[in-house]
Amino acid sequence: MEFTDLAERALDTSTARGADYADVRFEIERAERIEVRNGVVAALADAGSTGYGIRALVDGAWGFAASSDLTLAGLDAASARAVDIARAGARIARRTIGQPPPDAYVDSFRTKVSRDPGSVPLGERVALLMDAERLLHVSPEISSGRAWMDLWRTRKFFFGTTGSRIDQEILQTGSGIEAMAVGSGDVQTRSFPGDVGLYQTGGWEIVEAARLRENAPRIGEEAVALLRAPQCPSGTLDVVLGGSQVSLQIHESCGHPAELDRVMGWEANFSGTSFLEIDQLDKLRYGSEAVTIVVDNTLPLGMATCGYDDEGSKSVASDIVRDGILRGYEMSNDTARAIGRRSNACVRAQGWAFAPMIRMCNLSLLPGDVPFAGLFEGVADGVYMESNRSWSIDDRRLNFQFGCEIGWEIKNGKRGRMVKNPTYAGMTPQFWNSCDAVADADSWFAWGTPNCGKGEPMQTGRTTQAAAPARFRNVSVGAGYRG
Amino acid sequence: MDSARREEIARRVLEHSGADQTETLISSTDAALTRFTHEASNQSVALSDVAISVRAIVGGRTGVARTNCLDDASLRDVAARAIALAKLAPADPLQVELPAGAATAAPVGAYDRATAGAPAGVRAAMCDAIFRAAEADGFWCAGYASTDASGITIANSSGALASFDGTAAAVNVKMNAASSTGFGEAYAPAVGSIDAAAAASRAAAKAREGASPRAVDPGGWTVVFEPAAFGELVAYLAEHFSAQSYEEGSSFFSDGLNRRYFADNVTLYDDYAHPLKPGMPFDYEGQPKSRLALIDRGVVRQIVTDSYYARKLGRINTGHALPAPNSWGPQAHDLVVGAGEKTVEQLVAETKRGLLVTRTWYIRTVDRKRAIVTGMTRDGTFAIEDGRVTGGVRNLRFNQSLLEMLQRCEFARDQVRTESYHYALVTPAVKVENFTFTSTTEF
Repeated sequence: MEFTDLAERALDTSTARGADYADVRFEIERAERIEVRNGVVAALADAGSTGYGIRALVDGAWGFAASSDLTLAGLDAASARAVDIARAGARIARRTIGQPPPDAYVDSFRTKVSRDPGSVPLGERVALLMDAERLLHVSPEISSGRAWMDLWRTRKFFFGTTGSRIDQEILQTGSGIEAMAVGSGDVQTRSFPGDVGLYQTGGWEIVEAARLRENAPRIGEEAVALLRAPQCPSGTLDVVLGGSQVSLQIHESCGHPAELDRVMGWEANFSGTSFLEIDQLDKLRYGSEAVTIVVDNTLPLGMATCGYDDEGSKSVASDIVRDGILRGYEMSNDTARAIGRRSNACVRAQGWAFAPMIRMCNLSLLPGDVPFAGLFEGVADGVYMESNRSWSIDDRRLNFQFGCEIGWEIKNGKRGRMVKNPTYAGMTPQFWNSCDAVADADSWFAWGTPNCGKGEPMQTGRTTQAAAPARFRNVSVGAGYRG
Repeated sequence: MDSARREEIARRVLEHSGADQTETLISSTDAALTRFTHEASNQSVALSDVAISVRAIVGGRTGVARTNCLDDASLRDVAARAIALAKLAPADPLQVELPAGAATAAPVGAYDRATAGAPAGVRAAMCDAIFRAAEADGFWCAGYASTDASGITIANSSGALASFDGTAAAVNVKMNAASSTGFGEAYAPAVGSIDAAAAASRAAAKAREGASPRAVDPGGWTVVFEPAAFGELVAYLAEHFSAQSYEEGSSFFSDGLNRRYFADNVTLYDDYAHPLKPGMPFDYEGQPKSRLALIDRGVVRQIVTDSYYARKLGRINTGHALPAPNSWGPQAHDLVVGAGEKTVEQLVAETKRGLLVTRTWYIRTVDRKRAIVTGMTRDGTFAIEDGRVTGGVRNLRFNQSLLEMLQRCEFARDQVRTESYHYALVTPAVKVENFTFTSTTEF
């Protein structure tokens, strides 16, 4: 395995300086970004970064030091720094937080790829985005078009003093388009797929699945049509949410509050805490019986799919909500131990430069048994909304308000005219308890989120919330425009 | 890494590039942050890195490549990769000459040697002071203490060569009581100027005074926003001042500059040299910055540009480029809100019935053109009755047009450095009439 000698040096130095446990994670990161904006290549970039992060445990306190200096002197300095930081933390701590991981693994993992993006000529990739962006411009009212593509290739090598030796290669791919239409005193935006594009683990097949060229004219036309569409109605209405919007609803109102570090106050000053308190486990009715949400870091195509997390725990699947009842959390070793459980491998770092912490990883609302079209049946007066435009939720993840790019009225079970500026709001448990149907597996999809922010220093996480469209009864609609 | 070493690397990169034009950014970071919760460090980190970015322009085509390997072969490779990418890009007829730059000087106080070399014990001591404050009240606390040193060198084939080194220190504290929370923060270029105990004391006082919060009805309220709360709000105006937003029509003032959009007491600067936040005196193309009045007594006067948009719109280059590749357009990142004449206490004393907001949270744009934003209050929301703060209230959600809000506001006199989700800025507290809250939450 690459980096073995350097890893031994880092672990030996950390131990010699007093670490009770240490691990080191080497990463070779390569990020390619192409973005076309209004007919011009605004970004054509290839970024490489290599470095390592050392975690040291001293008297129950963690220290972390990251460096790109791959010399032995650099490793010694970083190891010493991690131990010094841990020791400084231990001196002031009123309690201990950390223990060594309970398990050690020697293994490897590779993302399954049908076609390596590196085999696709760069000119072909640029041409796809130039075409798709051009096709958005269906009218002079389209003032801005964007088409983009990201390829992230990460090699990770994890070594721990308890014997772990884990080698992983993860490939994440994404692409999307966006059209902005400007009218008199109004700006309307449409994006595809979803609101951030299609992001999954895999290769060029993910870009092909997005079908950017084929959908670009429709997205441009919808952006223009929204300029002339009536305002979304306001009041208490039934709501059907498209799959990507359900995905974001899961992300914000289940994924974040079920992070056990947040529940335990580790994010209190920034991201906040959670209403999913530990004494509610196995008791709280989080949602209706239609709501089952699982975390599964083996999910095919999931952005967080890998063999092992960034503290060396093996990927597994576990329940967060089963038939509406709170059953679990996203956990690390230290937080899981605090509630008498084992980690479900939900720890990730943005890269070598960052300390690992709990992320929501792959979180899925399991599909129901209603065909998508069936969600509209039985809705006398409602709104169907697609593609997120704004998202906000309080710091215990209760009071939320989301806005979507586009909506359609639902009248007597039929989808009707287009409406603009749809927003809806509620309190998380009441909202999920109002969910009376989730569409079936035919419309269930692994929606990736490439830009989840959490932690200090801020880290960007790449997560997936697989979801199908779903129906919610008696929802507050239109709050965003009542001011 | 010092500026001489960065400049030596920059010269090597330029020598290795055979592009028509080449720009290189060398950025060095040595940053440390100790995060804590329940009076123990739950995450204490340090990072040391140097990154090299190369922008190559060949026949009006641009490619960008990055590395963090400093050996000569890696520097040759990153330059070659940037050129290879450029040759595959379609030509942009507006691609400009890289700016030649000019001499600049770092503002006084931007760099503090003690902060750059602060050991872990310095941050631990700040945390310990905060823990003691929490224990004195029987609260638990969460937050962080940080010390950072960063440097950047920008050089290009037009002759620009600019270097800057800066430091930053901060503490951020949330005090948690049984039924309430409170917030305090402090930022300075020098760690010796940070009073962690004072920030903790402010946060604890908020938590004490906010105990057993009562519910109030949403609706239109007179609100006094403390700087941390208002800073989060006003940051959502910044993107409107980008030449890209202005040109594409999404800015609230895309119909024209030099028009009145706000009350005549509203002035917003972009000022890299403000004494509370002394920063980089040039942008990421090496173009010198200057103090810029974006809003002058209610009238929108300026947009911010980089070399690309200066040429595209026929305006001066104001020095607001972001690092290449940049699809966001130029951005104003050194916002300073003009001050008023009264103290915060006077603004509260002159309020018959209103709310005092310590901090805002999770603000997002609901309507871009009308600058309507939504978000929540947090960590210290209080009732004001007959000119006095009379106790905590449960947090509320707002939906409010920033344009309308800044037509009925009064600023306090003392400006404070604060940080929002995306921006660091300097602002006083502000009192706003008829601010719209649309719902409440349970705490």
